[in-house]
Amino acid sequence: MLPQVLKTSDLGAWVEALMAESRVAAPVLKETNVSDPTDLKFGWQYVPDPADVRLDYTVTVLGPKKFLWPPRQKLVRYNLGAGAEPEAIIDHEPHVLLGVHPCDITAIATLDAAFAKDVPDPHYLARRSDTAIIGLDCGAPCDESSFCLDMGSLYPESGFDVMLTPLGDAYFVEVATQLGEALVEAAVVRPATKQDMEAHQAFAEEKRSDFHYKLPYELKYLPEILDASYDSLVWEAIARQCFSCGSCNIACPTCYCFDVYDEVEVDLSKGCRVRRYDSCQLDPFAEVAGGENFRQERASRLRHRMFRKGKYILEQTGRVGCVGCGRCERACVAGISIKDTYVQIAGSR
Amino acid sequence: MADKPTLAFFSLACCEGCQLQVLACEEKLLPILEKADIVRFREASDGDADHYDVTFVEGSIVTAHDLERIKEIRAKTDTLVALGACATIAGVNAVKNFQDPDDVAAYVYGDKKEWFPHIAARPLKAEVPVDVEIHGCPINSDEFLEVVTCLLMGKPYRQPNYPVCVDCKLAGNVCLWNKGIPCLGVVTRAGCAPLMCPSAGHKCIGCRGLVDNPNTQAAKDVMAEFGLTVDDVLREFRLFQGIYDEVAKEA
Ligand code: SF4
Ligand code: SF4
Ligand code: SF4
Ligand code: SF4
Ligand code: SF4
Repeated sequence: MLPQVLKTSDLGAWVEALMAESRVAAPVLKETNVSDPTDLKFGWQYVPDPADVRLDYTVTVLGPKKFLWPPRQKLVRYNLGAGAEPEAIIDHEPHVLLGVHPCDITAIATLDAAFAKDVPDPHYLARRSDTAIIGLDCGAPCDESSFCLDMGSLYPESGFDVMLTPLGDAYFVEVATQLGEALVEAAVVRPATKQDMEAHQAFAEEKRSDFHYKLPYELKYLPEILDASYDSLVWEAIARQCFSCGSCNIACPTCYCFDVYDEVEVDLSKGCRVRRYDSCQLDPFAEVAGGENFRQERASRLRHRMFRKGKYILEQTGRVGCVGCGRCERACVAGISIKDTYVQIAGSR
Repeated sequence: MADKPTLAFFSLACCEGCQLQVLACEEKLLPILEKADIVRFREASDGDADHYDVTFVEGSIVTAHDLERIKEIRAKTDTLVALGACATIAGVNAVKNFQDPDDVAAYVYGDKKEWFPHIAARPLKAEVPVDVEIHGCPINSDEFLEVVTCLLMGKPYRQPNYPVCVDCKLAGNVCLWNKGIPCLGVVTRAGCAPLMCPSAGHKCIGCRGLVDNPNTQAAKDVMAEFGLTVDDVLREFRLFQGIYDEVAKEA
């Protein structure tokens, strides 16, 4: 399908049409900083009203990952006593994620790879297969914490069904899949003209000039640079400030570790096995049966996270574990920055 | 344990709000009553026994009499559960530990202060072994039910050993520190979700005590970066004694 154009004034009608068929999630305004009214806080939510969709959003605390994989998810229900009759809980229904930025599109592709490898995860994959992604291109960096250009996530070539590029009072609409074509059929669009195409090219050019590299080296060197830093004093130094609070992991769009536990009814008749996001920064994360904890030191946990993001996940899934969205840095009370850490270790040998 | 385990509830120095949280479980208590006998519950029934399988004790030890009582209770009890911040970390009672004991007695009892001798407020574990702790001021009813479920199943209760930040982030909250509000969630043991204070816009004041192994050095550094002095920091930590203790040790 050739590119189309959607007037911003027709966005609401499109969202409404999508909402008739699927659950639609998008960024909405969560709160305004009382002391600085230009400081708006956005969050991903199920859209209450099409008028609430904010495609002018910048960053969110949690990414759209939470719709593909809820922070707390029931996996199996069972009875206690005779006849446990365990039953897998695989709930999914059509979802549309509207307005996904390039970093999060890339992050979802990383999660797809992580949940498909080894033993495929039916809970994630079922929801994923029922989810359409409408991307939203970024023309300028969302803020100082981001480094998506460095991490190769700013120009995703796939992983979305539709891509929107904001062109003032209209969106340039590119369709990438058949599902995307069906979604766009529900919108009032017109084919892009020569002028629209020129405007789109101008957006792309400006985008290229607005983003700058923040790491002093290319992404392909990161795993080796990390290797060389393994015994560096830098980990101890950064960890001095680290609370081991886990906010960085919980906010990260590519983290996929979870903790599994049982929730049993107080009458002891039945229960559920549940999973919840876990964090490798928490003290008990690497504790195993018998009480041994093989990453007891704060610094070793911090280093582990930086290695996961820049090296281990790449080795396991073929996709780098960090997309440079900056969420971990923004979420960190101590201001610990993965970007600055990757800059700092550049000289290790 | 006998066929039907016996449960008892006792109160030391506290507002008895944690027992109210237990009663607030309402119909969810009924299955417990089918599986266990509650032999003593000051807020709901009378009765006594000379042995309890499980005893829940709320409140701090603040008098010599409390000290005797907790030792007696311990001697009659298989599993002792400390219920609420006063019992687990001495809670707000410990505020008096930072003032002159005579002044405190005079403030409360006036010229009758000699009639009411008191000792420094302390949590149960300072005097007797405690088997399970349910933190919070007040406790979270859901956690109480979870502990009882574990006890009835004979499996250990694993109390959360991660900070409030985890649940706060899971809720998608914008961190209060980003708005210039110092929040103790970074070093405070979680378990209050989904009703944690930051979700309502209030800073965490540490009522559930510290996580194991908190980075109090980082807390001081970060607070200093936000322009708070050591005194401010100590005041932040002081409302709930357990936290103050840990910080004071390293200050
Ligand atoms: S958010 Fe910051 S303080 Fe908390 S665990 Fe991560 S790096 Fe450490
Ligand atoms: S590690 Fe940090 S910057 Fe990288 S993807 Fe995760 S949250 Fe974003
Ligand atoms: S990190 Fe990059 S891709 Fe992600 S929102 Fe910011 S500018 Fe856009
Ligand atoms: S508001 Fe408090 S509990 Fe929430 S993330 Fe910030 S420090 Fe942690
Ligand atoms: S957020 Fe902090 S002060 Fe509030 S209930 Fe939880 S532990 Fe207590």
